Amino acid sequence: MSENTTATLLRDIDSINPVMPYLRQERIPHIWCPSCGIGTTVNCFTRALTESGMNLDEIAIVSGIGCTGRVAGYMNLDSFHTTHGRAIPFATGLKLANPKLKVVVYSGDGDLTAIGGNHLMHAARRNMDLMVICVNNFTYGMTGGQVAPTTPLGAKQTTMPFGNYEAPFSLPFLADACGATYVARWTVFHVRQLAKAMLEGLRKRGFVFIEALSPCPTLYQRRNKRGDGVDELKFYKENSVVKHGADTKEVGLTFNGPIVVGKFVDRERPTWLDAMNEHFAKVLGSEYTPYGGQGG
Amino acid sequence: MNQTSPERQGKGTVFVRPEICKGCSFCIDFCPTHCLEFTKDFNAKGYHFPILTRPEDCSGCDLCGLYCPDFAIYGERWKDIDARQAKGAVPAPPAAPKSLAAPRAQDPEPADPKGVLTGIHFMDGDHAACEGALAAGCRFVAGYPITPSTEVVERFAARIPMVGGIFIQMEDELASSIAVQGAVWGGQKSLSVTSGPGFSLMMEHIGLAAITETPGVWVDVQRGGPSTGLPTLPGQADMMQAKWGSHGDYEIIAIVPNSPQECFDLMIKAFNLSEIYRCPVMFMMDEVVGHMVERVAIPPASEIKVVPRKWTRKPKDEYRAFATTEDDPVPEMTKAGAGYRIHVTGLTHDERGYPAMNAGAQAKLVRRLVGKIRDNADRLMDVREDGVEGADVVVVSYGITSRIAMSAVEEARKRGVKVGHLRLVVAWPFPANRMRELAKTVKVFIMPELNMGQMVLEIERAVAGAARVVSLPHAGGSVHEPETILAAILEAGR
Repeated sequence: MSENTTATLLRDIDSINPVMPYLRQERIPHIWCPSCGIGTTVNCFTRALTESGMNLDEIAIVSGIGCTGRVAGYMNLDSFHTTHGRAIPFATGLKLANPKLKVVVYSGDGDLTAIGGNHLMHAARRNMDLMVICVNNFTYGMTGGQVAPTTPLGAKQTTMPFGNYEAPFSLPFLADACGATYVARWTVFHVRQLAKAMLEGLRKRGFVFIEALSPCPTLYQRRNKRGDGVDELKFYKENSVVKHGADTKEVGLTFNGPIVVGKFVDRERPTWLDAMNEHFAKVLGSEYTPYGGQGG
Repeated sequence: MNQTSPERQGKGTVFVRPEICKGCSFCIDFCPTHCLEFTKDFNAKGYHFPILTRPEDCSGCDLCGLYCPDFAIYGERWKDIDARQAKGAVPAPPAAPKSLAAPRAQDPEPADPKGVLTGIHFMDGDHAACEGALAAGCRFVAGYPITPSTEVVERFAARIPMVGGIFIQMEDELASSIAVQGAVWGGQKSLSVTSGPGFSLMMEHIGLAAITETPGVWVDVQRGGPSTGLPTLPGQADMMQAKWGSHGDYEIIAIVPNSPQECFDLMIKAFNLSEIYRCPVMFMMDEVVGHMVERVAIPPASEIKVVPRKWTRKPKDEYRAFATTEDDPVPEMTKAGAGYRIHVTGLTHDERGYPAMNAGAQAKLVRRLVGKIRDNADRLMDVREDGVEGADVVVVSYGITSRIAMSAVEEARKRGVKVGHLRLVVAWPFPANRMRELAKTVKVFIMPELNMGQMVLEIERAVAGAARVVSLPHAGGSVHEPETILAAILEAGR
């Protein structure tokens, strides 16, 4: 009955969820679990796309493997679902082949920082003009909740059944140290701030790293008796401390400790391509035509 | 229970699609005016879904929409709804871009003269391979240093700024072998270069290129293995890896040059085949061919035939990125930024490119990936035959070993043996039908190769006992002595 009422309402008033035009709607509903936060980050991303006013035909999205790795497949953009850990090098080739594209890498913490950690480091070092959105749920979701490089000390995972004793990465510190030009962390509780960070990231030239903390209710939350997704969002709400410009050395995460969020880094460095063009123009002179890429 | 109602009570309202709600309660818990509650009803999946119980409090702020991970609810202000309805406008999906008017250019075209170093040169195979790639239109190389292949990327790095393109030295071969695929989907022709250990690292992405039908050339300048093996000395022991190295069923094409001139000529063929068949093409050099210095004649650009990418001309609403027809098993291609909004995945996919996790889709896709090469094996066959008709003995060889074999064959002929020579230029797909045919008259096949017996297994498979097959293995590190091959011919011809 209420279904009917709602359906009537939808018919009576022509309207469409603002996220829908950005999705391959025939693929919805998605595969993510109830109260998983990945879909929330997608909302934020689509709001950022709207705000940016960018031509969507010139935006490509690249994912690796895993739960967040499925984002590319749901987005109605040129989208690439690559191999585990290698979204960044694929995106590097895509961007350099056609520099007019805005290339967004959208993947999870295991994909980007474990198997793909080396590529993350080097793309940041080179200041490759990519925006990386890392949804961090502290675990390997797709494979059933194994320990990740982001798992806080003490947290239980299937491959750390007695609690994690490996020190985790602090991703903003890693990205900052490697040379990223924009580094921010938000949680899926901070939807407006996360959308704003993504908008800033879309407009930034250079290597952008945005960490979005997100619940994994099925595995991380459940195994660690943290309730479900909404409980984790409440935890984020109560324990987050906004510190823009915080020293990334001091934003590491613990199992139950405070979560420092904010925009930590926003600086200018020449991108890899700008550096190449500038350097060749200097040393090769008129022999060199600046590279604009395929069709550019 | 109150029901959602279009009557205006608050500043805004919410829209719910109950059928895709998973009941997480994000919208209910984080609604700033607490105007939502769960229904007592269940949707088809068994979840309670939200309903507007206090419509008078709804501000239409859409925070519910921003939180909803399932895209099942969103809010809108009445004034925005009114404004839209006054205009009669429904928010539409982003406008469909105009279809790309790129020419369907499968017919060969002359090479771009910018990349062609016309003239007579004295250069090694690695450098000649690089020139072949440039002549073929390759404008993107990603590589990682490894002996004995490094000269290919060194030359490319020095040449590309003037030609116009990109060289990037990646952090490893995993990265370089997928960066080139990103570049292909960005519209470029791309190449990656390595040797044994790097070739092993690249295998994951050979599978990706196979399933995503990404054209490209992978060069393996073979050295002695396994593992680090003999970095500076030749081998031919990656031949089976080239065919079988990545997991799953797929097919590739492998080309084996035996001189610097062929490194140039066949590299153009390699690029052309990768565009026609949309599969990885392996360019299987070896340390000796890579480092030997010989005359290389590079013709004028107008005489070099380059196959352009098979760009689609279909309008956006008709184009399906992996659709094929009965008379063409290879789909038309596009690139990111062309407006088609393609999805490309390493998962088993349907004609749209969307993941399709079932046996039917798997059968359809894998049969086509394999069939487009296997079913064209005769068309792809490229062997160089010398006196095989009527011969009692045929030496089959490829790459550097073919040059030693030729001298042994000539010597044996002087001694009265009816011996022929067959050289594999395209090693994969293997010319099994040709071997089967020859086996009707040939008594013995002899295969010298710089491995412990790899391609010889293919001859055995093809002739299936119809002729004797002799393997002349060599563990690598040097080439065969001509006398070894000669002795085998004389023994067989006795």
